[in-house]
Amino acid sequence: MSSDPLRLRSDSASSEGRTSVEEDWTQLRTLLLAPEQTQLDELRDRLDNREIQPRDVSRVLPEAFAILGEHDQQMSSVLAPYVENGFVASVRKSPRAIVDAIAPIMGPAIRQAIARALQSMMQSFNQSLDESLSIRGLRWRVEAWRTGRPFAEVVLLHTLRYRVEQVFLIHLETGLLLHHVATDATVVQDQHVLSGMLTAIQQYVRDSFGVSQDQTLDQFHVGDWTVWIEQGSHAYLAAVIRGTPPASLREDFRAALDDIHAQQADALTTFAGDAAPFKTTQTHLENCLQAHYEAPPRPSALKLWILGGAVLLPLSWWGLTVYHTHARWSDLLAELRAEPGILVTAAKSTWGAHHLEGLRDPLAKDPSVLMSEAGFDSSTVKATWSSYYALDPQLVATRARSMLQPPSTVKLTLEGDTLVATGSAPIEWARETKRLATFIPGVSRYRDEGLVTTSIPDLLTHINQTVVHFSPGSSTVEQGELAALSSIAAVVRQLDQAAFQSGQGVALEIHGSADETGPESINMQLSKARADAVRTVLGGERLGEATTITTDIVSAAKRRAHKGDSADRRIASLHARLVQAGQEISRS
Amino acid sequence: MMQKKVCMLGGFAVGKTSLVRRFVSNVFSDHYHTTIGVTVEKKNVTVGPQDVMLVLWDLYGEDEFQRVRESYLRGSSGYILVMDGTRKATLDTAISLQETAVRTIGAVPFVSIINKADVRPEWEIDEPAIERLRERGWPVLFGSAKLGQGVEELFALLATQMISAPVLPRD
Repeated sequence: MSSDPLRLRSDSASSEGRTSVEEDWTQLRTLLLAPEQTQLDELRDRLDNREIQPRDVSRVLPEAFAILGEHDQQMSSVLAPYVENGFVASVRKSPRAIVDAIAPIMGPAIRQAIARALQSMMQSFNQSLDESLSIRGLRWRVEAWRTGRPFAEVVLLHTLRYRVEQVFLIHLETGLLLHHVATDATVVQDQHVLSGMLTAIQQYVRDSFGVSQDQTLDQFHVGDWTVWIEQGSHAYLAAVIRGTPPASLREDFRAALDDIHAQQADALTTFAGDAAPFKTTQTHLENCLQAHYEAPPRPSALKLWILGGAVLLPLSWWGLTVYHTHARWSDLLAELRAEPGILVTAAKSTWGAHHLEGLRDPLAKDPSVLMSEAGFDSSTVKATWSSYYALDPQLVATRARSMLQPPSTVKLTLEGDTLVATGSAPIEWARETKRLATFIPGVSRYRDEGLVTTSIPDLLTHINQTVVHFSPGSSTVEQGELAALSSIAAVVRQLDQAAFQSGQGVALEIHGSADETGPESINMQLSKARADAVRTVLGGERLGEATTITTDIVSAAKRRAHKGDSADRRIASLHARLVQAGQEISRS
Repeated sequence: MMQKKVCMLGGFAVGKTSLVRRFVSNVFSDHYHTTIGVTVEKKNVTVGPQDVMLVLWDLYGEDEFQRVRESYLRGSSGYILVMDGTRKATLDTAISLQETAVRTIGAVPFVSIINKADVRPEWEIDEPAIERLRERGWPVLFGSAKLGQGVEELFALLATQMISAPVLPRD
């Protein structure tokens, strides 16, 4: 069209009159229709070029999506695979960006989940620990054993005031489940079916009582459980609670439901069966899963100490007794093993009863004495001893003395397996011993070269020659005489034993005497005193097994008849003789 | 997963519960039927690429003593009308129930099924009557809860109709 004025101007050369008219016309038309002409040119261009320009589409696309989404879900279905693929590709290409984007949402959610799990575990652990030692705890332990449930669960159930175990978010009109949360320990029936039944029950109750729609069933009880229902305009919350919940809990439910209605207003209004948008209500519903447990009274420190003492003291006492008894038993065994003539072959100790078996030489120390010294009652120790001859030198020597009955003047010693006799002994004993000695268990040889043998007549002669001298007027045995008397006493003992072994007795008379000086009565008394003094030095009225010692005085006539000087008359003389055993000794 | 509420409607003893039992394993006892007049059960089906959970409200059969509670119908995305081929009266009940359903929840998808196909010779509902139902625009299927015939098809057909039905704007 824009070329037309030029063409008009070239034609004007051939026909000027017509041209001027046309030019005028053209100018007029240009003046009047120029803006419209431009628009017409643009429209023609757009009609000729039918390809859609991205710029044009970008202007209408958001609005087109909005219009389409309002009435049809088809767009979502069509776009879903592309969005999914795009998301997967994006995650693969740049995972960091995705992590950064979702971290603010996922972080708190994960932290909350972990904290809740830890809290639940700690609560269970603390309750179990608190109750593990109490009487009530023991009763619950029996219950746990009987019912086969974990102890921690039994404790929680008994100390439970209330626990919200499940929370349902249900669409009001359809009864379809929008979201559901439950505690870990809860066994969940099919929550979708349960939602339908809960809705049906409410409608049944409402219909049955002929109440209006805004009047609702708020709660009902089943066994240990209470179901609380909190109504909203498009959805309702149903909470399954074990125990007795406080009224304040309903406020928490109300707040959660209000928040959900506020945040999910569109999704609730347009709900057509797709519950996916309501996954975001998880946090609200989890906050409704509250629980409260009874805190057990803390036992006082004193009670704990008493309880601890009551348990520990008898235990300590028992432990100490056992230790002590064991130590004493060990000591006793060591002592028995060290004792000559005792051989322990078996020893057993069980729960307060002790058993001993072994060999014992009859000459060894009595084991029951050792046991009682160690504090063991004969009733608690059962001992069986078999007899044997021990070859311990100590016991062999004792056995030799026991069997040979040596006189006190004889000393028996053991040198290895040789029995050695020294000292003095009657010849009869020496002969008998030489014959018997090697029959003694433990004695192989006998030696008696150091043994002086004496006969009874020799001994009598030796004794009867004995005279003890006194100072004038004194009845005290002087120092020099004492030594002589002690050797005579040994001879008397030898005689005594020799006489005893031969079945006889010895009568030893001590005759006291005085010189002629002084009155006779004094001299009589002095004589008597001198005889008594000697007897006292010899040891009294009896000596050894078979000797009787008597005193007498030498009469005045006899003294006078004595030919010696006066010193020889201030004496006490010894006179021994053999008598029949038990025979009355007659005074000479 | 998409959820849809579906009501099972029909006269007394037409076999609604038997059809449902063929379809799902029950959780709740039948006792609820006679107490609150409904038992809720569920079944997952697949329609094309989409999984759909049918939440089945099996309503107590209507008879002269008990009417179907209309409140149970509310929120249904579809319903199933069950008739007993051997009792003609159940067809009339079904027609009456369909009218109730339309009045209560509007024109939502539904499928009708004539049960007891295993004893076809004993049927009182004849072909002309069935034809009249089809003329009313009813999808009519034949089935036998006893033999399990037609049950899967019944629920699959209804699910398909519900998924492809446009979502009506709510009041």
